[in-house]
Amino acid sequence: MSSPVRIVGLGSVRARDATPADAEDRAGRLRGVLTALSAEGAPIRLLHGIEEVAVLAAHEALSRSGIPMPYRGDDLGVVLGVEEGIDGIKARYYQGVLADGPLGASPLTFPLTTPNTIAARISILFDLRGETLTVGGGNVAGAQALGLAVRALRDGYSALTLAGGVTCVEQEFLEAASLVGRSESGQPGGGACLFLLGLQGSASPAGGDRLLGYGEGFGPSDLQDAIWACLEDAGVPARAVGAVRTAAVCDWRSVVRAVRGAGIGVDIVRSPSSGLCSASFPLAVAEAAGQPAGGTRIPVLVVGSDCLAGAAAAVVQGGQ
Amino acid sequence: MRERVLVTGLGVVSPFNPDGGRERFWESLCAGETAVGAIRSFDASAYPCRVAAEVDRGWLQSARAPADPALCMAERAFERALEHAGIAPGSGAPRRAGIIVGTVLGGTASGERYLRARAHDAPGVTEALTQYPLRATAAALAEKAGFTGPVLTVSTACASGTDAIGLAYRRIASGSADVMVAGGVDAVCELSFSGFCALRALTPDRVRPFSRNRTGLALGEGAAFLVLEREGAAKKRAATPLGLIAGYAARADAFHLTAPHRDGRGLAAAVTGVLQDGAVGADEIDYVSAHGTGTPYNDRMETLALKTAFGARAQRVPISSVKGALGHAFGAAGAIEAAVCLLAIRDGIVPPTANLEEPDPECDLDFVPGRARSVRVRTALSVSAGFGGQNAALLIGGLV
Repeated sequence: MSSPVRIVGLGSVRARDATPADAEDRAGRLRGVLTALSAEGAPIRLLHGIEEVAVLAAHEALSRSGIPMPYRGDDLGVVLGVEEGIDGIKARYYQGVLADGPLGASPLTFPLTTPNTIAARISILFDLRGETLTVGGGNVAGAQALGLAVRALRDGYSALTLAGGVTCVEQEFLEAASLVGRSESGQPGGGACLFLLGLQGSASPAGGDRLLGYGEGFGPSDLQDAIWACLEDAGVPARAVGAVRTAAVCDWRSVVRAVRGAGIGVDIVRSPSSGLCSASFPLAVAEAAGQPAGGTRIPVLVVGSDCLAGAAAAVVQGGQ
Repeated sequence: MRERVLVTGLGVVSPFNPDGGRERFWESLCAGETAVGAIRSFDASAYPCRVAAEVDRGWLQSARAPADPALCMAERAFERALEHAGIAPGSGAPRRAGIIVGTVLGGTASGERYLRARAHDAPGVTEALTQYPLRATAAALAEKAGFTGPVLTVSTACASGTDAIGLAYRRIASGSADVMVAGGVDAVCELSFSGFCALRALTPDRVRPFSRNRTGLALGEGAAFLVLEREGAAKKRAATPLGLIAGYAARADAFHLTAPHRDGRGLAAAVTGVLQDGAVGADEIDYVSAHGTGTPYNDRMETLALKTAFGARAQRVPISSVKGALGHAFGAAGAIEAAVCLLAIRDGIVPPTANLEEPDPECDLDFVPGRARSVRVRTALSVSAGFGGQNAALLIGGLV
């Protein structure tokens, strides 16, 4: 069993607005954030929806934690899962090159074709100078980001880490994914979910929800390995798991088999965010932390998998 | 106490050695050769700059062609690394073995192929998309080796390879893995070439790191992987170590999406951090493998960062960049440069900074111009910096 990690702050944004009023509210919040952040410098202009949801989620997580912005410290880093979120940008950028040659290459759009730009945008806007990492793991990219953050905190490489996933599932991605039979989890729209994580018992600001453990697996028994590793890491016996939530998964039946194989008999609930690829796992963790299972705060197992990158699992416990 | 993390295998594919022959790679670098030449992998005639350092694609033909060039290079370097370490696929405890791949572009060349075909309504290239995802390479390599431990893809711009090795080092140092294969890969493609051209970052002819007349970077490509092992596990199977990873740190500039912080704030912090992580002083560093892209901003920033972090020692330590010879291989660069440090330790030779003929007064450190130099290297530092203010540093040691 390893040290639990405290969820100090949480920010989550879904880009698929239910009503025009929701869209206007989100746009207004973004304007407010950018105006506040630009008070000390040049006006800030974001170019793409994926940046917008990421910046909003980061701002929400940091402000809920009472972290000053800009932060100006190198003990707070960013670990972000991003993969399919930039595929549409890359496709449109290259279509411009195909259509107009060198003149079609936009120097403004080009930086957004590199996966780490979203984490970098967060690091720059909020002046976070710690370790800034981007992981590409498809549906489990956000999970892997949480896993890296948990390790960095436990091993003493970081005091606080902003970690999670962001995506912007666009038409180009859906078309391409459907051609190779990987459209199972794609839903148009986008979203971001970021946690500010700190070590339990450290001097980090107070917060009640906790990530008790994390595990990952790869290969034929990836889900089973991830679940076992996670439960062991959390020090939680299978019988103590109060609920299971799934993020995006490669194959639902494999999840059921792996969960039952681990001796967990409780209901398995599919997260409403399971179509949000890289962001789906962190969103499912946020749902698990925020919703008491059966009226009490009992450990919830969150599971996700990707056809290429393997599986991940986390045990989450909401605060009292 | 952390267990030592040994390097027991090394595989490199570069324009000098498409077959993955380590010694050819090293001899070419030490001889001051340069691989930068006219672009062959796509038609660059419409661009004002037309040079890059490419791997002969003829060498990359695979039995299951058409395969993505990045995947082909990664597979070859990965196989060479495992052979060098004496690790057979499927051997050992698979849950205790993993892989971390650093890449910026993944299978973007395959994505381009798909989009070009779609623009012309050409059928039959959808299979290219299976090799496009960033994570496809790590998955393919892990499957090949039978690893079922951590399988990750890190994308931190030009620091990707360095971060991949650093994160793998931490996995072993913390006791959560016995063997990690880590490194990076990227292939030249039109998407990245056109972007750097639009940003006016490319040289029209040669890459001249730290020179007064430097004109920018050239794209490069390749792959490099190190086999890292827990010392106890390596000893148990009587492996022959090449060196060790003694520290890692990463810091962000938090400054600009495409330009480095002018004073090298983030890189200086990463170098200071890695010295702390490895518990060594600046005076113990015998060689620095610089990022040295040959762009005006990077080379000046890097000089300032090393002065900040090293103090007076900065003036006395030999520092060289291999990008004059190999161009900038993005996700692979940091891993290739870690390999350079290991070979420098092995042979007591540091390679020169190719094309450094007119030193820049603002880059006034010992950048090893002209020819390779004999230096007893016990501890080396490899530094990387990239888009978005990414900075990473690795401490690589000998086995004294």
